[in-house]
Amino acid sequence: MKKLAPYPWLGIFLVGIIGLAAACGKQNPNRLSTELLPVEGQPLIHLKVLLKVGSANDPTNKEGLAYLTFNLLANGGTRTKSYQEIARLFYPLAATISLRVDKEMSVFSGTIHRDNLEKFYAVFKEMLLDPGFREDDFIRLKTNQLNFLRKTLVGNMDEQFGKEILNLMLYEGHPYGHHDAGSVETVEGITLDEVKAFYKDQMVQGNLVIGLAGGYPPDFPDRMAADFSVLPESFTPRLSLPKTRRPDGLRFILAEKQTPATAISMGFPIDLTRADRDFFALWIAGAHFGEHRQHLSHLFQKIREERGQNYGDYAYIEHFVQGRDKFPDTNYCRQQQYFSIWIRPLANSNRHFVIRQALRELRKLIEEGISEERFELTRTYLLNYTKLYAQTLDERLGWQIDSHYYGYKDFLAEAQAELAKVNRQDVNRAIRKYLNFENLDIAVITQDAEGLKKALVENLPSPITYANPNMPKNILDEDLIIQAYPLHVRPENVRIIPAAEFFKKPGIPGEP
Amino acid sequence: MLKLGALVFVLSFLLVPPLPGQNSDIFPYSWKVEELENGLRIVSIPLNNPNIISYYTIVRAGSRNEVEPGKSGFAHFFEHMMFKGTKAIPRPAYDDFLTRLGAGTNGFTSDDLTCYFVVFAGRENLEAVVRTEADRFINLFYDEEMLKTEAPVIEGEYYASVSSPERRLAETLRDAAFVRHSYKHTTLGYLADIQDMPNQYEYSRLFKKRFYAPDQTILLVAGDFDHAQLMEMVKKYYGDWERSNYILETPLEPPQTEMKRVHYSWPTPTLPRLAVAFHGPAYSDEKIDKAALDLLAEAAFSRSSPLVQRLVVEEQKCQSLGASFPDRRDPYLFTIQAVVKKDEDLPYVESQIFQEIERFKAEPVASDRLAEIKSNRRYTMAGALETTDGLAGTLVGYLSLTADPGTLNRLFRLYDRITPEDIMIMAKKYFVKENCTIATLSGGKTQ
Repeated sequence: MKKLAPYPWLGIFLVGIIGLAAACGKQNPNRLSTELLPVEGQPLIHLKVLLKVGSANDPTNKEGLAYLTFNLLANGGTRTKSYQEIARLFYPLAATISLRVDKEMSVFSGTIHRDNLEKFYAVFKEMLLDPGFREDDFIRLKTNQLNFLRKTLVGNMDEQFGKEILNLMLYEGHPYGHHDAGSVETVEGITLDEVKAFYKDQMVQGNLVIGLAGGYPPDFPDRMAADFSVLPESFTPRLSLPKTRRPDGLRFILAEKQTPATAISMGFPIDLTRADRDFFALWIAGAHFGEHRQHLSHLFQKIREERGQNYGDYAYIEHFVQGRDKFPDTNYCRQQQYFSIWIRPLANSNRHFVIRQALRELRKLIEEGISEERFELTRTYLLNYTKLYAQTLDERLGWQIDSHYYGYKDFLAEAQAELAKVNRQDVNRAIRKYLNFENLDIAVITQDAEGLKKALVENLPSPITYANPNMPKNILDEDLIIQAYPLHVRPENVRIIPAAEFFKKPGIPGEP
Repeated sequence: MLKLGALVFVLSFLLVPPLPGQNSDIFPYSWKVEELENGLRIVSIPLNNPNIISYYTIVRAGSRNEVEPGKSGFAHFFEHMMFKGTKAIPRPAYDDFLTRLGAGTNGFTSDDLTCYFVVFAGRENLEAVVRTEADRFINLFYDEEMLKTEAPVIEGEYYASVSSPERRLAETLRDAAFVRHSYKHTTLGYLADIQDMPNQYEYSRLFKKRFYAPDQTILLVAGDFDHAQLMEMVKKYYGDWERSNYILETPLEPPQTEMKRVHYSWPTPTLPRLAVAFHGPAYSDEKIDKAALDLLAEAAFSRSSPLVQRLVVEEQKCQSLGASFPDRRDPYLFTIQAVVKKDEDLPYVESQIFQEIERFKAEPVASDRLAEIKSNRRYTMAGALETTDGLAGTLVGYLSLTADPGTLNRLFRLYDRITPEDIMIMAKKYFVKENCTIATLSGGKTQ
């Protein structure tokens, strides 16, 4: 992958990161590494233990093992302390340990006041280095994981459900191609011995990044590194992922359930990550087309603002998880990325229209490119908005780790310089190179799926109505075009699957 | 391995709050409060962190103010209309301004307040923000057609969480527990009222006249700016805003006289849910009732409490169990809520909750346990004040309640005074069956 040369970091908000990456130098891949962000006088301290291992490392037929194993560390007892005792110890300190598990990364983290660092760290260390693997914790957390897959994900959170179906479609037969929590069948089959074995294999020094930020004592990083150096010297090689492929045509999965609203996610894999020089040009394109929960988003303007169809409509050029406020969360680094469009739930009656509208807007983006005015506006926006990304210790350390993953000293600082160099032609070139409007996977959660399939395949007209009797003529004129906008959907490319069938097995229900 | 422990950098975003010691104020920053002649209150917290300014406009009107039938959800709807622009700065120009600024910006509505924030970098941008925000609050302009186009967005927002059983349980509980008070409905409102919003243009004008006025509003500004300069700008741009002098009378909720029980049948499979709610007191930093019950919520229903440890960790009957008792201007609900693993365990979990409540009525909390709870609250608050935006976001709720940032310090001093006996007295006073509403939700068997 092409890496950028280091650029001078700009912006006074990023001074803390200076020199950290350079100091890393060459290091033994069998040993743990450290990310430090000291802040004098700051009474809070943020600790992270990041593993360069995630759900993509789940063995076949054991999908969900990484999540269950790490959850047992974060939410189970140690060899000497029950989970209840840990909860009682942490409570007066207002301490918690959070866990996030993504495809290729998993992170344990906690923020603690310096008054309580020693008490907290003694337990935190024990949880990761001397876990109890207690049978009752195992049963509790496995049951929770199964309930999440059986009921919560398919029944109580349709927006997320749609995104997860899209993930299954984008990565069919790929190590990313199952939910991070696995599937009912595979999680049911996981034994405590398998959890212990996975821990032993993966909790090795070379997989670990230890992160510290805030007002920790000067000797603390060495102590922590020495403590975690009891782990075996070894590492899990970075996964060798198969090349992703674009879907052939417009491929739909209609997950059918009783619902008054339709949730839609669509996308395709792209051969680009934050490490590529083209990222900055495509970033501008993505922000223009669908910046997350911002009025800047063109899709938001067309679908919500002009037509009041739903709560919001956005697009992303990499996997996006919302962190604090509306900013991107950190430590979801991946070797491979995807482009996606997120249409928030809308009345079932308007689903066909909005699918057409989103795909037509994507086509216009690719065929017409970005205007000079929008290019300049979006770039200015990104230059300023990204200054707000890293505010808390957790966020600052998270961005620091992600920067190094993708080969930067300081991604946010370097983005200031890189975005400034991009011109409109670069953006339009990147749009044409990486995006397409004809080959997408589209996940739809809806009722009367047969009705939608027929409408899609036969290209039936999809007019909509408005509460406002005096809608502007230009919008009504455009609606006439949208409602007849032809989509080339082959009947075999529309699969109808009952919602309850999902996540029983790792991939798409009914597929080998 | 890196060895940079000795190197220390000063980071500009992070605040450096002092220790949350027992005798010091919990809110560690100094503030200034001023009021313009028109009643606009300004709470200013200048800080030594270069770059970031958090600019919050708090309208002390939320779904509590929707006292007329058919108007539930209106405060939240009006929040949407507030982004429609003015004649001087129409919507596209307003969007363009915020986009170029790269601001973190949004609005949110709660029971007691509607809040609008602009978080941005660079003190040189402050005047433009003051000017632009003042303009939209004073000169908001939209016509009936704009309102009719925006109204369906609220229905879309309703749909965005339509698959959430938590929301449906909350709606069911509040609707049953309250008879007259506007806390009966949630901030989003009833679906029928949402669907009628396109027809509410005239009411929207009335709503604005009543509540979008300086005497109903607080400006909260925290971060890198000079107070005197801020005040000059505020006087210049907000000085002509006219008072409304409107005084809201919320309907008085009559005392509940018998236990109520409601159930919601979720159409698809879901983990069952249980909510046990008691009418409790309104927020106060003087009377001990609310503060004592806050501490009781922790003692009885936090993750370190015996009941939660037993039902969640040992017996594994519940996936989660906890209590919530939000601060509200008028008396609100103390709610214990459980996500249960099996439908058939709902009665058992309910009985265990009541048994625990009886225990807290009969036995005082151990004094060392109470000390742990107070410690937890202080450290939790210290963590919330990590950034400019964190402290502003924390203060918003308290300002909506009292219009005075000093309330936070008074509240924590009140917590310090609460004794085990106080908690027991309040448990006996509020946790009586006639004052209780129980809501349950369970799912269908097939999709």
